[in-house]
Amino acid sequence: MNDPRKHSDSEPTTHFGFQDVPESQKAQKVAEVFHSVAAKYDLMNDLLSGGMHRLWKRFTIELSGVRPGNRVLDIAGGTGDLARKFASLVGPTGEVVLADINESMLKVGRDRLLDRGVAGNVKFVQADAEKLPFPDNHFDCVTIAFGLRNVTHKEDAIRSMLRVLKPGGRLLVLEFSKPSSSLLSKVYDTYSFNFMPLMGKLITNDAESYRYLAESIRMHPDQDTLKAMMVEAGFERVTYHNMTGGIVALHRGIKP
Amino acid sequence: MFGTALLAGVELGLNRVLALDSTALPRLARLSGQVIAVDCTAPALQLFILPSGEGLQLAGQWAGEADCRLRAPATSLLRLATGQDKTAVLHSPEVELDGDSAALLELAGILQDLELDWEYELSRWLGPVASQLLGSHIRSRASWTSQTLDSLRLNLADYLSEESRSLVGQREADAHFAELDRLKLDLDRLDARIERLIQPHKPTA
Repeated sequence: MNDPRKHSDSEPTTHFGFQDVPESQKAQKVAEVFHSVAAKYDLMNDLLSGGMHRLWKRFTIELSGVRPGNRVLDIAGGTGDLARKFASLVGPTGEVVLADINESMLKVGRDRLLDRGVAGNVKFVQADAEKLPFPDNHFDCVTIAFGLRNVTHKEDAIRSMLRVLKPGGRLLVLEFSKPSSSLLSKVYDTYSFNFMPLMGKLITNDAESYRYLAESIRMHPDQDTLKAMMVEAGFERVTYHNMTGGIVALHRGIKP
Repeated sequence: MFGTALLAGVELGLNRVLALDSTALPRLARLSGQVIAVDCTAPALQLFILPSGEGLQLAGQWAGEADCRLRAPATSLLRLATGQDKTAVLHSPEVELDGDSAALLELAGILQDLELDWEYELSRWLGPVASQLLGSHIRSRASWTSQTLDSLRLNLADYLSEESRSLVGQREADAHFAELDRLKLDLDRLDARIERLIQPHKPTA
């Protein structure tokens, strides 16, 4: 039987927004998107979410249960919103690793944290979520906020996060998901396929990157699918919390 | 989400106020890492307070353990926040406290000792000259208002006690009370003396 997700040269394909691209090209294409938006990433986040992304991240911090002395890994940490809060919570005896595969985003995040005086207990690492360069059983908490949908092999990334977590450690996945009401879903579709690319064009002169963001959100697994993926990878007590009508969901799992 | 947004707004405002006191943030930094849970029993609300060198972080829920947990109705919490004698409030029967109470008392102390340098904040917006002029104007108005209120209080008291004789004056009342006390003591002495005079005439068994 022919696999519709394979190109003629037999290289497996994956989705990049609504397009199918060879797996080897996805990381490069995602990197181009984030190189393009890195400089105005925070401004665009505030504009496009109406500041809601700050509340979603606040809730993630509340559910993290991070304490002084903990080791925290913030994957796809972008401009360092979560890492800054974690650095304050873990204190001088703890450690926060801000990891991002994208050099531009990592640079923006590092500069921003240093400008705000966050230093000493924060490390910056350019790393691929699928192949985390850390020892087994190393972190008390791993977070990935708005990053998992850009990963080529999500199952590999979740397994990699499980590996680096200590037993009893928590994984928190904050990601766009599926709205719970059909009316909200229609409004959200109109908003994200029309307004988001328009704002991208006006502010960063790049409508395509924001069209990709809207499309990648639709292609991301819904709440229950992601929960099943985490259970499959080996996490226990996996739960999720819908926020803003399911537009965003926070999944939490514990390493046994 | 509404509760989270509300707490975020309160936190932002509170931390701006705390930043106006030069000693508050260094004192809060000493409480870094502590989690104080406040369970308001009536109305039912829960709040987690995490002090740090950057101010206070407020959370509606916290996945980790709290170092100190205070359970009390809103009235007691208000008394604890504003009253001088915090230990008396903590010992009242409707207040339950588990864990390290020192962190809670230190936090309440920091909030009570706040001395806000509002003139500095004003100078950031208006500049040093305008804020100094405005500050001295406000101070002189406040002083004038305070003196006027004191004067009004004294004049009213004088009028009521000395001129209209509607009320007894403070000194006059004190003299009467002193006289009554003296009379009461005299009566007690007389009573004791009569008792002693009657004693020998009592028949012995």
